[in-house]
Amino acid sequence: MAVKEKDILNRLYFIAGCMFVFGMAVLFKLFSIQFLQGDKYRALANERVIKDVVIPANRGNVYSVNGNLLATSVPKYDIRFDAITPTSARFEKYLIPLSDSLASYTGKSSKYYQKELRRARANKNRYYLLARNIGYSGYMRLRNFPLLNLGAFKGGLIVEQKTKREHPMGGIAQRSIGYERFDEDGNVTRAGIDGAFGVKYLRGSDGHRRKQKIGKGQWKPLSDANEIEPKDGYDVYTTIDVNIQDIAHHALLKQLEEYEADHGCVVVMEAKTGEVRAISNLGRNDNGHYYERLNYAVGEAIEPGSTFKVMALMAALEDKVVDTSTVIDTKLGYKQFYGRGIYDTHGHGKISAARTLEVSSNIGLATIVDQGYAKNPRKFIAHLQDWGLDKPLGLPILGEGEPVIPQPGDKIWSKNALPSLAYGYNLKLTPLQTLTFYNAIANNGVIVKPRFIKEVKELGKVVESFDKVASDEKICSEKTLKEIQDILKHVVERGTGRSLYSPYFSMAGKTGTAQTEYWMKDWKDNKRYISSFAGYFPADNPKYSCIVVIHKPSVKKGYYGADVTGPVFKRIAQKIHTDTPIVDEVEALDVKVASVESEFENYYKTAQTYKTIMPNVVGLPVMDALALLENMQVDIRVKLEGSGVVKNQSVNHNQKLKNNQIVVLKAS
Amino acid sequence: MPRETHKYFKFDWITIILFLMLVGFGWLNIVSASHTEYTIDYFDFSQSYGKQLIFIFLTFGLIVLLLAIDAKFYERFSSIIYIISMLSLVGLFVFGKNVNGATSWYGIGGMTIQPSEFAKTATALAVAKYVSDLNTNIKTFKDQIKTFIIIGTPAVLVLLQNDTGSTIVYGAFFFVLYREGLPKIYLNIAVALILISVLSLKFGGIITSIIGASLIFGYYFLNRRKTSFVLTILAFIATVAISFSIKFFYNSVLQPHQKDRISLWLRLEKDPEKLQRMKQTFAYNLNESEKAISSGGLTGRGYLEGTRTTGKFVPEQHTDYIFSTVGEEWGFIGSSMVVILFVLLLLRILHLAELQKSQFSRIYGYSVASIIFIHFFINIGMVMGLIPTIGIPLPLFSYGGSGLWAFTILLFIFIKLDSNRINEW
Repeated sequence: MAVKEKDILNRLYFIAGCMFVFGMAVLFKLFSIQFLQGDKYRALANERVIKDVVIPANRGNVYSVNGNLLATSVPKYDIRFDAITPTSARFEKYLIPLSDSLASYTGKSSKYYQKELRRARANKNRYYLLARNIGYSGYMRLRNFPLLNLGAFKGGLIVEQKTKREHPMGGIAQRSIGYERFDEDGNVTRAGIDGAFGVKYLRGSDGHRRKQKIGKGQWKPLSDANEIEPKDGYDVYTTIDVNIQDIAHHALLKQLEEYEADHGCVVVMEAKTGEVRAISNLGRNDNGHYYERLNYAVGEAIEPGSTFKVMALMAALEDKVVDTSTVIDTKLGYKQFYGRGIYDTHGHGKISAARTLEVSSNIGLATIVDQGYAKNPRKFIAHLQDWGLDKPLGLPILGEGEPVIPQPGDKIWSKNALPSLAYGYNLKLTPLQTLTFYNAIANNGVIVKPRFIKEVKELGKVVESFDKVASDEKICSEKTLKEIQDILKHVVERGTGRSLYSPYFSMAGKTGTAQTEYWMKDWKDNKRYISSFAGYFPADNPKYSCIVVIHKPSVKKGYYGADVTGPVFKRIAQKIHTDTPIVDEVEALDVKVASVESEFENYYKTAQTYKTIMPNVVGLPVMDALALLENMQVDIRVKLEGSGVVKNQSVNHNQKLKNNQIVVLKAS
Repeated sequence: MPRETHKYFKFDWITIILFLMLVGFGWLNIVSASHTEYTIDYFDFSQSYGKQLIFIFLTFGLIVLLLAIDAKFYERFSSIIYIISMLSLVGLFVFGKNVNGATSWYGIGGMTIQPSEFAKTATALAVAKYVSDLNTNIKTFKDQIKTFIIIGTPAVLVLLQNDTGSTIVYGAFFFVLYREGLPKIYLNIAVALILISVLSLKFGGIITSIIGASLIFGYYFLNRRKTSFVLTILAFIATVAISFSIKFFYNSVLQPHQKDRISLWLRLEKDPEKLQRMKQTFAYNLNESEKAISSGGLTGRGYLEGTRTTGKFVPEQHTDYIFSTVGEEWGFIGSSMVVILFVLLLLRILHLAELQKSQFSRIYGYSVASIIFIHFFINIGMVMGLIPTIGIPLPLFSYGGSGLWAFTILLFIFIKLDSNRINEW
């Protein structure tokens, strides 16, 4: 019995011991949490109680020169659904009405949503995505749907607001308007105007507010006012003209598609001010579609090819190495320089120096420059440096391409360097640099720096304005300038650009067809070219300068500057001309210069003539032809068959028109 | 004898005072954990604390009733009480209401009743009745099986209703049977099973087998004369088999949330993404509760002053996590006091149980102590991260009418039985 007593006592002690030991363990753990690790937990606790909330500043808008919005920030909403929150009764009651509403919103079937929402509930999905990136009106609509209108705690509605940068003009000039984008690591990519002026003007500064947690997901501000008030960003007014931008964009796009080219760019600049009215950069993606990819016009330094011959001849004329009538022997299209052959596409024989540029003779320009400067190449290079071609333009936009102009003593310098330079090889320029030079020709010899921004405003008040930056000295003498201007006009009238000639509006420019990637082994089998056209319009009293560069057009379809890029240039010139003819006339009227006046008289006469006489509209786009005909003094009725370019007109050129006469235009 | 001077003094007032202290202090903490307005109307019956106040008042009526009933009634009707209770559990499968994934409630009008809370008392009565029967010998295998069936029936029923926490509570009867002479082998096997499971989950089957082998063979060589070699080999084989099969059990039998809780407790999870997710779900409760307790310090932040309590940082704070409120607002001193109150209550009940002359009363007393202890053990352990998360309330403390009444009934039946021990010759 004693043994049994002892055994029972032992068992009692075991049970009581268990309880006692556990009690001690609890006390020890309490001690540990409250004292030993207390600091750790208390720090954690405070971290969760007060937080610093960033109030993002509104980013400024980007406007075009016409006042259109190019980039703005708009709130966007992601709507999600917590499938667990609604009670079973509510969920069942509202499932079908909600699905119907969603179906009417998205166009998917109501059955689809019933299935999806049921699945979300079965999977305990508390974050089911209903709609992403919807606008404010869409958000207002969705939050009034059955069940969702019960709110977050009863209906399971989850709304996330974010700010998105939008370009109301669509893909037009997107790359130049640019963006500022942050990746997950906080690294930032800045492109175009938005990127370049983001930090300084557009971004503004974020506000801060300290909040304290007061309950489940509820935070109250610690003080009445924000600790730091947010300051909204300034608005940036660009020089971009949406109409010209639109013309340039579509003209380039059309040609890129037609020639299946790799990429291309267009820049249109106002001659007198250097304000960039349009800049379009289109590149092809894997699907063969074109969109704004990289800022080729600003960032891509390339061998310019024949457009550079203008610089070469201007230097030679300025130094009186030749004059425009000096006879140059271009042989039969082949000539050796220092043991290396240079080719022309056709043999031109003995022609004047001016003509070498009109027909774009490689041999001609190489001969002129080699004869004139072989003994003193630095004199030639000095001109290029004077014109600032060896340095970047110093644009605020990031990623400007670095030009390369070789000098004697450089690695890339050889005896052949000089003749190569003459026709635009062995150096690199960005399209915008070439354009800046051509613009100087158009602007009476004065170089103006290209500008993308006019003003920065805060609530309509000008904060900073960007004025014209022009060179003090002209690029050459009046005489040389006039000679070059004439030659550029002749290029279009009777030179390599003669296919572009139109009697209705004048333009001047230079074609360029440069080989690219010719150093690669497969070049012979797969020839690649860069086609370009730089110039200005109207040829007399120029208003705009423009450059078009297209990379690697399909050789089967064509690659000459006159064929590939010339039409883009022409189309832009033509469109701007028809869109703004009156302004030209008024300006011309005010200037009482004899030559201009007589010119105007001529123009006015022609215009008058065509007020009653049928002009030649064949080859004009239908819209332009209509514009011309409908502005006649006589009331004629135009009938249109087809669309595109006019192929045939029922009334012949120069025939007198009568009121109510019917003119049939056939277009293709 | 002073106990005979007046019939009210026959009741063990120490136990009753401990009970009142726990209920009262518990209610203060429920107020703190559940109030949502800045001003507190203690008699606002739409609030949790207001409802609990009603439950507490009703409890006093219940106590009077329990103490008025003749002590013999509980012993005599224990079988019927047990059967009715089991039927109420079975009825849940048909009429039960699902709350938080467990089908453990009857909805009557606006109220819900959880029969599994009362089933513990019924089972305690039935076990006391069966084991105290003169024909029952707990040392025989047949009677052990019958006892296990009595305990196992409600345990399995609540398990089927997805109320794992309540099932574990029935493990409390192990202490009772142990006290009444259940062979030691059960204790050894149970302890060995728990150790092997935890070790092999944490360190893998091989290490556990090696540890097991060295312990088993070490024991055999030290007690060679007394120990059977065949049994030793069998024990070793069983150890190895369990060590390697526990992983399978863990992976395929346990539900995902149970696995997660165990893996958090044993720190098995290495995948940082999954750990992060755990921190946002159930581990969040534990983390927040530990933070609340730690912010209390030595003396606490003061009643209704706990920022983490009033800020509702700890989910389910007025029910399962009520102890974290004590920790924050009353500090180390307050929480120690609660622990001490519970330990005193338990030791007092054990002491009274040992004094019982009737075996029925003693066994019932042990059952009461064990059931309260296991609740206390699991709840406080969970709140402080000593054991894996198992959601059961802290007795007499947590919000809830069913729980409060069930524990009141459990405890006051024993107080009535105890008051009657003098008449029981």
